[in-house]
Amino acid sequence: MYLTLENITKIFPARGGVGEVTAVYNVNLDIEKGELITLLGPSGCGKTTTLRMIAGFEFPTEGQIVLDGNEINMLPPHRRDMSMVFQSYAIFPHLDVFENIAYGLNVQRLPKAVIQERVNRVLDLVQLQGYGDRAPTQLSGGQQQRVALARALIMEPKVLLMDEPLSNLDAKLREEMRFEIRRIQKELNITSVYVTHDQIEAMTLSDRIVVMNNGIIEQVGTPVEMYRFPNSRFVANFIGRANFVHGITQKQSGQNLVVKVFDEVIELLNIQRDFREHESVNLIIRPEMIRINKTGELFSGIIRRGVYLGDVIEYDVEVNGQLLTCVESDPYVMELFPNGEQVTVGFAEGCIQVLPEEENN
Amino acid sequence: MQISPTRTEKTLPKTSTIIHRIREFTLIGRDPVLFMSLLLSGIFIFVFIVFPLYRSVSGGFISKEGAFDVTYFARYFDDYFGPGLRKAFYDTMLMGLLTATTGTLVGFIFAYAVVRCNIPGKKYIHWLALVPTVSPPFALALSMILLFGRNGLITKKIFGITFIQGMNDVYGLDGLVIVQTITFFSVSYLILRAMLERLNPAIEEAASSLGAGRFHLFRTITLPLLTPGIAASFLLLFVESLADLGNPLFLSGNRTVLSAQIFLAVIGEYNYQKASALSFVLMIPTLVIFLVQRYYVNRRTYISVTGKPAGSIILEKDPIIRWFFNILTYAMIGFILLLYLTIVYGSFSTAWGVDFTPTLRHWEMTLTRGVEAILDTTFLSALATPFAAILGMIIAWLVVRKNFTGKSVLDFTSNLGGAVPGTILGIGFVMAFNKPPLALAIVIYAAMALFFASVVGKTRWEKIIILVVGTATGVALNQVYEPYMYYILGGFYLVVAIYMMITQKVFRKPLVLAVLGIYVMSTNWSVMISKPIADFSRSLERGFWSNAIFQASDHIKVLVQPTPALLAIALVFAGVLLLQNLSRKISRIGIGILTLAVPCALSFVGVPFAMVGGAYIIMGAFIVRSVPASVRSGVAALQQIDPSIEEASNMLGADSQYTFRKVTLPLILPALFAGLVFSFTRHMTSVSAIIFLISAKWRIVTASILSEWEQGGVSIAAAYSTVIIIFVLIAIFVLNLFVNKLFKGRGSVDMSQGF
Repeated sequence: MYLTLENITKIFPARGGVGEVTAVYNVNLDIEKGELITLLGPSGCGKTTTLRMIAGFEFPTEGQIVLDGNEINMLPPHRRDMSMVFQSYAIFPHLDVFENIAYGLNVQRLPKAVIQERVNRVLDLVQLQGYGDRAPTQLSGGQQQRVALARALIMEPKVLLMDEPLSNLDAKLREEMRFEIRRIQKELNITSVYVTHDQIEAMTLSDRIVVMNNGIIEQVGTPVEMYRFPNSRFVANFIGRANFVHGITQKQSGQNLVVKVFDEVIELLNIQRDFREHESVNLIIRPEMIRINKTGELFSGIIRRGVYLGDVIEYDVEVNGQLLTCVESDPYVMELFPNGEQVTVGFAEGCIQVLPEEENN
Repeated sequence: MQISPTRTEKTLPKTSTIIHRIREFTLIGRDPVLFMSLLLSGIFIFVFIVFPLYRSVSGGFISKEGAFDVTYFARYFDDYFGPGLRKAFYDTMLMGLLTATTGTLVGFIFAYAVVRCNIPGKKYIHWLALVPTVSPPFALALSMILLFGRNGLITKKIFGITFIQGMNDVYGLDGLVIVQTITFFSVSYLILRAMLERLNPAIEEAASSLGAGRFHLFRTITLPLLTPGIAASFLLLFVESLADLGNPLFLSGNRTVLSAQIFLAVIGEYNYQKASALSFVLMIPTLVIFLVQRYYVNRRTYISVTGKPAGSIILEKDPIIRWFFNILTYAMIGFILLLYLTIVYGSFSTAWGVDFTPTLRHWEMTLTRGVEAILDTTFLSALATPFAAILGMIIAWLVVRKNFTGKSVLDFTSNLGGAVPGTILGIGFVMAFNKPPLALAIVIYAAMALFFASVVGKTRWEKIIILVVGTATGVALNQVYEPYMYYILGGFYLVVAIYMMITQKVFRKPLVLAVLGIYVMSTNWSVMISKPIADFSRSLERGFWSNAIFQASDHIKVLVQPTPALLAIALVFAGVLLLQNLSRKISRIGIGILTLAVPCALSFVGVPFAMVGGAYIIMGAFIVRSVPASVRSGVAALQQIDPSIEEASNMLGADSQYTFRKVTLPLILPALFAGLVFSFTRHMTSVSAIIFLISAKWRIVTASILSEWEQGGVSIAAAYSTVIIIFVLIAIFVLNLFVNKLFKGRGSVDMSQGF
């Protein structure tokens, strides 16, 4: 393991001085060399605090941070061999692009020629050739973003930290920069920790995603694992959308589980957990796992809302008194079911995951 | 796939707050430069603010014999002194209330005219409204008397009024309130102008689209939104009025107010206990308001004053209202101009009230007899200015950027020195630094020595050896005959410098050390340097130049002969900067001992911190008074800089010293310049804080104005006032020019932050 967080807890004194706030609680994380890991979660979940502890701006109240075999808990940021891309870019406003990028090398007092050469190389990498003498104010948001990235990359850091680097860009540019960052990260094989609250960003960029909530890690896994096999209701809801349907287990044999749902019995495939018989469970049914047809499906339902969105049609359909959100993505379908229409509803049994009821938080 | 810890085990470990605080300080301790700035600010605040204020407050309760005694407080309740004292207290409060009310009103009229009424000549009106803040406090009282006094140009010459017993003249509360209103309304103007500018026009537009009429809108929207500003301005003016010493001395007539009573207790009766007791009485309302202002009013502000101005501003459409405000503003500007021109003209008139023909006689007197005061004031003000501005930036940086226990105390006490009435501080200074207790020097030395040893030494034993041996050497050297001592101490630095040059092959740091060594030795040569200059001045014909050159010899002495205890503080911190991270163990211990012995010996020369009568105590008082303004301007600048810019520098491998030098300082440079301007202005115009600190050797212009006026030299007093105004305006102009050249397009000095 290249970078390890062991039982990291961070407690801040509460604002106003009375009491304490636990920002991060008992976080364990192993990051491999060359891997890009995303910390994903809603605001206040502790992802930025975790990143700032890795950077050295905060020190853990408990636990250890180990980089390349050395404990770095109390090492100040400037001696950690990491670099960081900030949400606000934090470009030095009084220096031009070249001086901004060369800043870290100047701190190390490298010879002028070396600095010149390395800055030019990294300007090429982020496609800003010829922008060296521009003032930061003369750059667009995307260009400033590239300068911030270049300034971090030129240090050839052991770990590259990125704190919501794309959140100040407009949607189209953000998409472009996502691929750009991923390309450069792969090209340099640079170990990276990326903080974001945008699940699409996390899905696009990451080797692995860490979902955090209320200061703890909810789940760690590859984008596919996170979407297909969420461990908790929170993760299922945070990455993609999900309907939660109550069921009672009947019988499990290997990965096949028979569940009673809406008074009908269905058999689910690819189930990752073991369940007892007659256990109360929640089925995670994503909108695209629901089929709606006029006739022929197992359950009967009533259309309550239908919206044509272009690429898909989105319905709220009422089954046994519960509203389920589902999408129809067949490009040939152009007619919507009217509200109040009686339909039949079916589930993609091979994709549905099941969570025990008590994890109902 | 990793399974997360389940959320049932959510019992949290409780770390105690004390452990948390200790951790904070170990973290700060890891960064010597950060810790040093903290220690430096702490020492300054303790020595020059907390300790004197403590002496001033406690002084009222301690009799000459040193016993606990409340005589002067009891007098408020007896039948003999009681009525007079209570009347003075009542008058003081009345004066404060009236000045606060009228000042806020005038400030509002100015602000409304400038922001909402599109008044022609806006820019000039803005600057003219600020002139009272940069003129010496007596100036307006003086010109009021010149114009409306018993021999006044307007009262006597134009209207031909002859004052007889019982007639209402300019003296008394009414005249006083008028002058104070003009002196202090600028503060109110600045606060309310900022608020009006930052009022979001959409709010008022929303109200009027909901059908609110003009006056309804003003009453239900504009006024409530401005209330925090009006309250802030009212409280500030109240405090300023109470603290004002200059105007009451000139104008209070047969009424008396607390600040003048304090002044008379010191100057007239030389009774410090009485003065302290009266100070205590004055301090209570001031402090209460200071606290209310800080912790109540500031939190109820709906409009952020530091934020950007709202994009557009609503202009007053009704021409009657617009011209009502504009004409009032012009009238007051006219009055202010008249007052200042009167001062200038007063300095040229032969005998005011009798003979108004112009003459240069008073200026000749001012520039010969008065050159000493003018040069001393300018010299001390200028010398104290960089210290005040830099200290202000350091404190601002600590307060805005760093987290540590006691931060709010630092913030509060650094402001306190400027907030309490100057007279109280002045009395505190005299009482604190006349015969200061040895304990003061010991505590400060101990704090510095511990810090020094812990930075220079690597292991626990090294630290102890440096601390003990260094201190012992220093104490021993302290016993040596003084001139020899300075040579030995300077020699230590030279030895260390040469040793470092040879062993480490570095030159910059040893060179600085060598210069320090020579500087320490130069204490012995101050007479050698200054005597020829003084002799030369005596050989000249008596007049401006001989006086000026004679003063220069004094000023050189100040430069090369600082108060040893203060020099010691500077040397410890210089040592820390130059000597951290020495590589070899032997050199660490050896150099550590030698460089600690020097400040140790200096810390205890004579009676440490006995500074009364000297130049440094005056500079200390100057700095205490001007630091809050620098802090404010630094805080405002820092709050506008994204903290991640500094963090980015950290991440790129720069420590906090490099970051401050290369990133923070360049970005707050405009604020630093603003701090310089405020500080210099504040120094040149301060009266109350330094009036008890002047001596035969160190004269201050503002005090000379007072004494000239008392002797009837009205025109000379006017000339002095003119000189101060001119000097301050020159300083502001030059710095503005400099800053505009330097930061073209990157923001200019926001003068309004400092007041």
